[in-house]
Amino acid sequence: MTPIPSPEDETLRHHSFDGIQEFDKRLPNWWLITLYGAIIFWVGYWAYFQWFHVGLDGPQEVTREMTKIEAARLAAAPTTDNASLWKMSRNPVFFEAGRTTFNTLCASCHTEKLTGAIGPNLVDQLWIHGGTPTEIYATLEKGVLAKGMPAWVPMIGAKKSAEAVAYILSFHKEGEAIEVQAAWIPQAPK
Amino acid sequence: MSDQKITIEFNDKVVRQFLLASVIWGAVGMVVGALVAAQLNYWQINFNLPWLTFGRLRPLHTNAVIFAFVGNMMFAGIYYSTQRLVKARLASDFLSQLHFWGWQLIIVAAAITLPLGFSRGKEYAELIWPINIAVTLIWVVFAVNFFWTLAKRHEPSLYVAIWFYIATIITVAMLYIVNHLSIPTSLLHSYPVFGGVQDALVQWWYGHNAVAFFLTTPILGIMYYFLPKAAERPVYSYRLSVIHFWSLVFVYIWAGPHHLLNSALPDWLQNLGMTFSLMLWAPSWGGMLNGLLTLRGAWDKLRTDPVLKFFAAAVTFYGMCTFEGPLLSIKSVNALGHYTDWIIGHVHGGTLGWNGFMAAGMIYWLLPRLWSRPLHSVSLANLHFWLGTFGILLYVGAMWTSGITQGVMLNTTTEGGTLLAYPNFLDTLNTIRPMMLMRVIGGSLYLVGWFLLIYNLWKTIATARPVNGTIEVFVDEGVIAQEDKITLVGTFLNPPVAFSILGVGFSCVWMFGGDFLSIAGMFCLLLCVVLAYAHFESRGKKWATWYDRLLVNSAPFTILVVIAVAVGGLVQIIPTVLVNRAANIEDRRQLPYTPLELAGRDIFVSEGCYNCHSQMIRTLVPDVLRYGDYSRLGESIYDHPFQWGSKRTGPDLARVGSKYPNIWHLRHMENPRAISVGSNMPNYPWLFTTPTDIAALPRKITVQRQIGVPYPEWTDAQITADFDLQAKAIVEDLKTAGGVIAPDKQIVALIAYLQKLGKYETVAPQSSAAR
Repeated sequence: MTPIPSPEDETLRHHSFDGIQEFDKRLPNWWLITLYGAIIFWVGYWAYFQWFHVGLDGPQEVTREMTKIEAARLAAAPTTDNASLWKMSRNPVFFEAGRTTFNTLCASCHTEKLTGAIGPNLVDQLWIHGGTPTEIYATLEKGVLAKGMPAWVPMIGAKKSAEAVAYILSFHKEGEAIEVQAAWIPQAPK
Repeated sequence: MSDQKITIEFNDKVVRQFLLASVIWGAVGMVVGALVAAQLNYWQINFNLPWLTFGRLRPLHTNAVIFAFVGNMMFAGIYYSTQRLVKARLASDFLSQLHFWGWQLIIVAAAITLPLGFSRGKEYAELIWPINIAVTLIWVVFAVNFFWTLAKRHEPSLYVAIWFYIATIITVAMLYIVNHLSIPTSLLHSYPVFGGVQDALVQWWYGHNAVAFFLTTPILGIMYYFLPKAAERPVYSYRLSVIHFWSLVFVYIWAGPHHLLNSALPDWLQNLGMTFSLMLWAPSWGGMLNGLLTLRGAWDKLRTDPVLKFFAAAVTFYGMCTFEGPLLSIKSVNALGHYTDWIIGHVHGGTLGWNGFMAAGMIYWLLPRLWSRPLHSVSLANLHFWLGTFGILLYVGAMWTSGITQGVMLNTTTEGGTLLAYPNFLDTLNTIRPMMLMRVIGGSLYLVGWFLLIYNLWKTIATARPVNGTIEVFVDEGVIAQEDKITLVGTFLNPPVAFSILGVGFSCVWMFGGDFLSIAGMFCLLLCVVLAYAHFESRGKKWATWYDRLLVNSAPFTILVVIAVAVGGLVQIIPTVLVNRAANIEDRRQLPYTPLELAGRDIFVSEGCYNCHSQMIRTLVPDVLRYGDYSRLGESIYDHPFQWGSKRTGPDLARVGSKYPNIWHLRHMENPRAISVGSNMPNYPWLFTTPTDIAALPRKITVQRQIGVPYPEWTDAQITADFDLQAKAIVEDLKTAGGVIAPDKQIVALIAYLQKLGKYETVAPQSSAAR
């Protein structure tokens, strides 16, 4: 325990303000080290980023990172033309993965049977935003925000989206009739 | 020396007035705080009423606790201690009363205008321009009263508390005036002269230093008086006072840009903000050390004395927050914590812990001395202490948990870093709901403690007689000896000041000089440090003697404070104002708002949307993945005021334009939960019935043109025609989607504004050079 200083302490200043006296203790070493350390850090940090320009600034850094992400996305993205999506819809690896995604994210509006409730029926031949594979994929890409359908591709990625489309297409046949439906009247899910 | 003595009676009446005002406004501010915290959990208690919505009440809460609660407490503490420290009665009873009543009138005006939606749209600077002028005038009254008292002092030397009071008065005046420069468009509305990045820099230069010079330096001064008085112990270290005072007031000013890290603010400013925040750590802890170590030998008194309990805890919270502040100023930590509840926890550690507990300690200590009666109940005061402490810990702990949890969720990616793990913002909001509730409980406990103080105060003073302190002084005590006076030249031509000025000057040459000058600057800086060190080692006594002389010269002391606090702002703001202008923008430049969009923007500001929504996509991958390309400096260059925000209770809006159809916004503003399940945003039904103020637009556009937004010279009729055309187009679009609304309603203007966000033109570098 720190000994209680006596009034005769040599570091006590003589002046008193409304009875308040002041010691004149030397500054603790750890405190001085903190102060000097922060100053040295400032010099080093400034030199690194602003003097020698070794460090990247914010825009450079984020652009570099986003370029990498774009490249990774492109490398991982499946081909989403009509022919490929039809092929995927007949390949269990794809449409089974698509079933999982569909049941987790889409079924709350379109139901697990795809017969529609809040969102439209996806097994009939009536389509509001187009029924070709690329059109269905485009609907996932942009969403139908006014009706509450989110844009899924930016959220879950191209691969899962393509699988979900493949799953929907597995209920359809290539070349079947596509009719335009004006609007879907939302119903409570059964 | 004459041995004739006179008796001075202190003006303690005004101290009592400010003390009571602080207690009452403190209760009001905290009640509003608990209400807005509860609104975040239960949107229903926005009551669908404009003047009770979060966006309007949150500014009321912050302004009330800063300017009404801490402001009145500060004035009480400063007036009480200054009179005793300089052995003089306050210079003017009239000015004292004008100060008190003027300040209360300002608070009442604020409490009326803010809920009505009259706002400048800048945090802690929301009050409208007529009130700004009143604040400035009353602050001048305070300054005159204070410095006049110093001039009449019978104590030649200035105690450390007085240094902090001088710094407070000077710096708050400087910050307040610059950040409130505006051009009125009507009696109740104005646009700030700075826009976009300039406004952001000026705002946080002000905002950060409102914390520094309104919530910290005056309270440190109060600590230096009341803590040793209550502990009856000498202050730990005078030389620590000297070092930490000067380093604190000098460094604080530079740290403002840490509120804008990873934003569109130029990189050099961000780096200054971060490094100076780290350099602020030791100076801040100097104050904490001097507070805590003054209690050496008095720790046993903490068991019984609630005053010392409050002081010791307050200083501890001060130390905690001034460690957390530099930590949050590190760019990578800031990337996680900024825009989340962590920041809310940080400021409440400071306001509830440091300010609130210093206030409580000071009030409990003053009551028996301002009214001739011992405190009604010491055990109630102790209970207040424990309720308050528990409340703060609950509050701050909840906000740390909440902020870090949400920050981590928002920043987490999957699929090899290419996708957000929680793309739906609401998932992150609803995860922290329990913590948001915990904060209401913590805050309410603190509030209950405050009501205990009010009860205790009432029981103490209800039947007690007010007493004024007196002191006997020799009439010519305090006359400064001729050889101690410092001239203007002497203020600068002395080792400590000369070396400091040279050091700062060479640092700036090094930092901003360019290739050759930088090297020369660094060389001179090192030389200067070596010389200063050698001089101090050999002639240190001279430095100390000169400083002792400075302390009896209040004018030179004040001049040096002015210079110390002005440097940081000058270095940061002047280049920004000169360089970062619309004409110099490369890359992307914002498209000016149409009349309808401008009207919508004013509604956005007036409703306080910026309290929950930022408009700044940071240069961080998670921000870009969630909200789109990072915001460029030019994309908000015409925004008076800027709306970059400081908290994301909802998602960022910088690129919300065209993201959703008009009908989405209509339905969402009517009832956010119809679109976004689990949202805590209030409903805005009045926007569907209130007409937009079209008549105000011509004057607003004229003022916008004056402050540099390139509007053509439209006639009033052209403005109205443009307004009608765009409003009708939106209304038509809404009608086809099933929404019926008249074109003159506020919601139409607001939708127009929201759909404009993120629209820009590309500027080729050569065209900007040609300008």
